[in-house]
Amino acid sequence: MKIAEIILAEISKSHRHNFHNRMVYFSLLIWPALLFVTAYYSFKPFNLESSSPVFDHIQTDSLILFLLTGYLGYIFFWSLVQSAWQMAHERQSGTLEIVFLSPVSRYTLMFGRAAGNLIEAVWMFTAFAVIAMASVAGIESIAWWNVPIAFFILAFSAIIWGGFLNIVFLFSRDAGILFTVLEEPMQFFSGVRIPVLALPLWGKTIAYMFPLTYVLDIMRELLLEGASVVQLGTSLGLLGVVLLVLCSASFFILRRAEQHARTTGNMVLF
Amino acid sequence: MWLPFSATFKRNFIVMKRAYPWSFFIGHILSGAYIVFFAYLSYTFVFNKDMDTRFTAYAGTNDYLSYVILGGVFFSFAVSMLMIVSRSIISELREGTLEALLLTPSSRKGYFLGTMSQGLTRAGIELLSILVIGFFFGLQMAIQDPIAVIILFIILLFSLFSQALVLGAFMLYFRDTYITQNTLFVLMGLVCGVTFPAAYLPNYVEWLSYCMPLTYGIDAFRMVMTEGETLAGIQFNLFYMMAAGILYLVIGSIAIKRMEYVVLEKHFG
Repeated sequence: MKIAEIILAEISKSHRHNFHNRMVYFSLLIWPALLFVTAYYSFKPFNLESSSPVFDHIQTDSLILFLLTGYLGYIFFWSLVQSAWQMAHERQSGTLEIVFLSPVSRYTLMFGRAAGNLIEAVWMFTAFAVIAMASVAGIESIAWWNVPIAFFILAFSAIIWGGFLNIVFLFSRDAGILFTVLEEPMQFFSGVRIPVLALPLWGKTIAYMFPLTYVLDIMRELLLEGASVVQLGTSLGLLGVVLLVLCSASFFILRRAEQHARTTGNMVLF
Repeated sequence: MWLPFSATFKRNFIVMKRAYPWSFFIGHILSGAYIVFFAYLSYTFVFNKDMDTRFTAYAGTNDYLSYVILGGVFFSFAVSMLMIVSRSIISELREGTLEALLLTPSSRKGYFLGTMSQGLTRAGIELLSILVIGFFFGLQMAIQDPIAVIILFIILLFSLFSQALVLGAFMLYFRDTYITQNTLFVLMGLVCGVTFPAAYLPNYVEWLSYCMPLTYGIDAFRMVMTEGETLAGIQFNLFYMMAAGILYLVIGSIAIKRMEYVVLEKHFG
């Protein structure tokens, strides 16, 4: 089976599964939009004038743009955590066995599933964020020519991240706890709301453990600073290394879990 | 009413002991702890304790950390209590026990109060845990009138219980818990003055905070727990929460009864 066919099948499945009810729009648009507004107002109790310590990293007039780009990246990554959660449901309801019996490469399925779910889950908030950026900051404040490349980098990284999560959730009894423990730190430390450079050294160390940090750095440079891909060579190289580590971990866990399943007949590895 | 109350309490206690996913419990404590922790980091390391000049006027205090910590403590508590009560009937439906429940001539009040009281044991542990974490991150308490704290807690509980009945009716109507409850919680996080005073919001959004008893609850807890206010000083908040609680109770009781009929017809023919 070709990758495109798998992605299309996953889009179709995800659409039938999630879009049978209009309430899904609440989770796809209303929640992220409300979270973004809450994050914006959470800054208000602090001094945001030019004398503020964070003024070196974000200026007050670009705060909305900073948060919009942050939440856009975060929604791409977060939506795939939700989709990975459904992976466990597929195992529980028995449909996973049918999928596994089909002549599809496991790895293609895991990453194809992430890609399929990503498009379904993020288009709405992406449209909201792009319109908000244009209307709040004005067309001229965004390097629009960099938008396609920024979205490609964001989507590609999110798919690798999503594939990794799918595999972790596939073989875990209750990986939901991982989401509970890591979701908020990812939002805080990876620069969604707070610039990473404003964090102390230990905070920066934690920040660079999350792939989203590298993606947001690159995205903001591309969109807000108008940097070229060549100028961002080092950052892109670092992101490449991080994604390579994630891919290797995905392959390792999948191989290990399949061996475990063959020996014990049990899909649950941990 | 006593019999269904104690029976529900006992049953839910056994369920909690034997089959409750404790990751929920940890999740609730963590969500409150993260509000506290990240407020501390932002205040101390990112903004170097440099506050907006309007904050004191809007918040009624210049102690940002205590402000946010109490916000986090009672927001997490409200989320837990709302979830426990509002999800009870729809959980019976999902687990297949609703038909049996509806067939018994038991008092629905006793059932809901039993659910709330049992849930309070868990939510209370969560509240205390977040409060203890708060002390490590700079919560400064100055309670002058402990009776006021107790009365305020009881009235907050009543208003949350009433609001949960309305939420439960919505859940039965939409046959959904995930989206219904989380939409309310995300909205409460924005308008109830959890991490910033609602006065910062534009007027057309601020009015939403008046619909939430939690806004007045958090505000009153801050007054009695960190500002040394007495019962007389929080009279308006208490009155408002009681009034909102009674209104929600009437709407919720009628709505839940109606939804029971709807569910009965749709599911059991």
